Amino acid sequence: MSNSRVCHFKLVLLGDTAVGKSCLVVRFVRDEFFEFQEPTIGAAFLTQTVALDDATVKFEIWDTAGQERYRSLAPMYYRGAAAAIIVYDITNPDSFAGAKSWVKELQRRGDQNVVIAMLTGSESDLITRQAGNKADLEARRKVDFNEANDYAEENGILHMETSAKNANNVKSLFVEIAKKLPKAQQQPDREAFPILPQKQESRSCC
Amino acid sequence: MNGPGWDGRQAQFQESGAPNWAAPPGQHAQYQQTPPGRPGPPQPFVSNAMQPQQPQPQQRPPTGQQQQQQQQQQASRAKLSQRKSTVQNLTRKQTNSGIIVANRTLDEETEDGRIRNREASTKIRDAWIYRQIRARSDEFTQYKQGRVFIGTWNVNAKGKDEDLSSWLCADWQTHGPPDVVVAGFQEMVDLNAVNVAVENKSQQRSQFWVDRIAATLNSRQNTLGDPMRTYVQLEAKYLVGLLVVVFVKAPHRSRVKYVHSNSVGVGVMGVMGNKGGVSVRLQFYDSTLCFICTHLAAHRENVAGRNADFANVYSKTSFDIGAEAVQEVIRLGSMSQWATGASSVGVSDHDQVFWFGDLNYRVDESIPTERVLELSKRNVLDELIEHDQLNIERAQGRVFQGFDEGALTFQPTYKYQPGTDLYEERPDKKLRAPAWCDRILWMAQEPGHVAQLNYTRSEVNFSDHKPVMSTFLVTIKDVILEQREHVYREVMKLLDMYENNSLPMVSLDRINLNFGEVRYDQRVTLPIVITNTGQVVAQFRLVPKGDDTDLCKPWLAVSPTYGMLIPGERMEIELTITIDNVTANKLNTSREVLDDVLILRLENGRDYYLSVSGTYARSCFGMSVEELVLYTDPIREVPLDPIERAEKYDLNTKAAMCVPKELWRIIDAIYEHGLDERDLFSGTSGDPDEVYQIRECLDTGAAFEDFSPHCAGGALSEHGDRCAEHTDVYSQVPGGHAADPIQRLHLRHIILPRGSHSSPDEQVVAREDCKDIVQLPGFKLPEFRGGVSELVESTPRQHAATLSPLPGDELDLSRLHRLDRM
Repeated sequence: MSNSRVCHFKLVLLGDTAVGKSCLVVRFVRDEFFEFQEPTIGAAFLTQTVALDDATVKFEIWDTAGQERYRSLAPMYYRGAAAAIIVYDITNPDSFAGAKSWVKELQRRGDQNVVIAMLTGSESDLITRQAGNKADLEARRKVDFNEANDYAEENGILHMETSAKNANNVKSLFVEIAKKLPKAQQQPDREAFPILPQKQESRSCC
Repeated sequence: MNGPGWDGRQAQFQESGAPNWAAPPGQHAQYQQTPPGRPGPPQPFVSNAMQPQQPQPQQRPPTGQQQQQQQQQQASRAKLSQRKSTVQNLTRKQTNSGIIVANRTLDEETEDGRIRNREASTKIRDAWIYRQIRARSDEFTQYKQGRVFIGTWNVNAKGKDEDLSSWLCADWQTHGPPDVVVAGFQEMVDLNAVNVAVENKSQQRSQFWVDRIAATLNSRQNTLGDPMRTYVQLEAKYLVGLLVVVFVKAPHRSRVKYVHSNSVGVGVMGVMGNKGGVSVRLQFYDSTLCFICTHLAAHRENVAGRNADFANVYSKTSFDIGAEAVQEVIRLGSMSQWATGASSVGVSDHDQVFWFGDLNYRVDESIPTERVLELSKRNVLDELIEHDQLNIERAQGRVFQGFDEGALTFQPTYKYQPGTDLYEERPDKKLRAPAWCDRILWMAQEPGHVAQLNYTRSEVNFSDHKPVMSTFLVTIKDVILEQREHVYREVMKLLDMYENNSLPMVSLDRINLNFGEVRYDQRVTLPIVITNTGQVVAQFRLVPKGDDTDLCKPWLAVSPTYGMLIPGERMEIELTITIDNVTANKLNTSREVLDDVLILRLENGRDYYLSVSGTYARSCFGMSVEELVLYTDPIREVPLDPIERAEKYDLNTKAAMCVPKELWRIIDAIYEHGLDERDLFSGTSGDPDEVYQIRECLDTGAAFEDFSPHCAGGALSEHGDRCAEHTDVYSQVPGGHAADPIQRLHLRHIILPRGSHSSPDEQVVAREDCKDIVQLPGFKLPEFRGGVSELVESTPRQHAATLSPLPGDELDLSRLHRLDRM
């Protein structure tokens, strides 16, 4: 912490509407969960620090609007992002198809710096609330874990299933991303102000 | 303290017990009472050690203002050349030695003139995190009690095989064997020039004493053959005559880490090892301990020299424990917040510091030597204690700031006639006033964590000093990592929360603006109230979408497009839809819909999307004549959606009317009621409400109510103008571009009826009429002349029947005559 750098990274959340992007962020940043998370109309901005053993990563998170009508605005946010979390709802196959198209869009139009696209299967709030337990949720599952996992592997991206409601995997999702980010690569604006090499302090004597 | 010591078995036993998160109640209260932090570090003594020390004002960390000035100075320095900056930087470090500053790098001045220092801000942030964790250390710390034995002895270069147990093991019967044993020696060797320069002998003697201590501690009698009762040497450090050696009981060995030692010479020339300090620091469980054994300047009168030696050793003692250790210690909450940012730590960066040795402080010279001797021998100590130089200097804050010492209850330890228990009074020797040269002091981040159990001396007599020893009951931290991580996360979360809260935040009373039915030429305004609900000044502005250059669609206007709000302040921004001819035309042809998204961006914050929508109430205004003639229904009823429209209407142009019914209606109405109106098309438009009503009637097919012909004239000319501006449909209708509207009226009433169902004769008349009108001064544009005759010749395509369904619009040819007479 003392000697480790604080690395700043822009992270963007993408995905179809109502898959739980904001829930994921709110769980991560505030450790809260709202049954009725308002749809994001705009792009929410939050910061959150993840302390790794060797570095502290500060995420600057853009949580985008998932509604189709705002889709054309997404490039404003994924442009220049170091990481992207693409979220789908495991009970909604359409959202998985949507996630795939987001992956394609990022691959095509995203910054070269988008080194990580994390494909995140979320458990839709509504379903977890109704289901109440994991088994029931499994019954409602429409997106096979392995299918998503294979897709992610083919495209060289991470995959994880999370639940904002019970906080499952949320923390580790961001930690995994933090670990993958190239921390050796100094932030550009840090390079602009190099720290002077520390002179060996001679023991002043005689 | 009676009861079992913290020997190996018990240590294991304690650890296997259920974790006890909470601190003992008493301890907790102590934390409350004791503010964190201690008096600042002692004064560094920068000048020659032998100079009498000047009293210096207490140095303080720079105040905000000072710091700012400093920063400004630094900023201006930053503009200087790199080389020069470096020189100045070093100079600054030197002048600041002793004060730990947040940064070693220069401040940067950004282009906008702001001054910042990332190193400093990171370090200050880390210091805050450290303080938070430290303040909550009870939540993740299991406190254990252990005993630390400290012994110090100036052995006067003597020592053979004398029994040391009366020094090292004196209280084992009472308290049991301690967990940590630290022994410090001075004058292991004669402090002659050879020994000072060559450390051969020191090494020998050092090893000798280490072995002697180990033998004493691990004697058969003590260990009873149980390896768990033995002591393990952790580190020994010597410098000329000085030695410090640290032993720990075997069961604790695995919980000791980051053992580092250091030596500082402050003797001859300020560096030689005849005087100075040797030190060992280590992490014991999760507490950091530092042991410093010093031999300070001699001679009764040289108090200032001793003070200076102390300060020098204090400031020069540092341990390069490595970044990892620093990081760990910070996370344990066991590090001075000012130690961050480097891999080395100083004396004050430890939970518990023990400082001992031949400090050489004597009894003040105000008491004659003989009297000191007399009182010492008689063991009447009060007056001597009062005049003890160390006590005086400490009380004055000139040395050992922040350290504690127990009461002196033993006779002065120096100077004895070696081999006896008699103070040195032999006639051939210099008569000296006995003194408490040999002392043990301590400093604890948490004062309650170090309690002195005893402070006494041993009577071993081969040296001219008696050894001094003390056993401390210390509270040692054992951090439960999981719990610590939990606190660390919470602290980071708290920090993030504040950092997130310091982002600008506003609330908008609505983000969806539905303008409902919007009509042609109507301005509809909806306000949005934007309130700064955050804690910082919020600047907002509308930004274009993606690569667009416009903030919004042309039919929408926003005012203002930017603003600033202090917390709690609110303002209104107005969004206005105006349907002009261009927009109307696009809306009518489905090339545009009343739907837009605006991006309201907070500087350094989030984006809000404002959705704007409305339904266009279709109007004949803004529609081309070509299209108007296709619909027999009121235009409002014609769907905007092209597919729906196609389903409802036969868009075959052959079925079209010859003139738009709306045009016919209004001309007819004027013809009926307004021909006598003066200045009918004078250019001044009528009452807007009435014009609006007329337009509505035209669009909905409702009958005209009472209207002023003037307004109708206005509506007509507007219709013509607006259509003509953007479509060239009216160029087909003679007079469409006529400068004189009255001519247009004439023209239309001449042409249209005749065009629709006139006899060949009438067509000729009409054609002639048109020609006449076209010849009028207002029709001088040559391109229309041919157009008129062409149109007249080509009509009629249609018959009047198409028009007849319209109420009150029965075509009456008789009107033509009236027109003709005009």
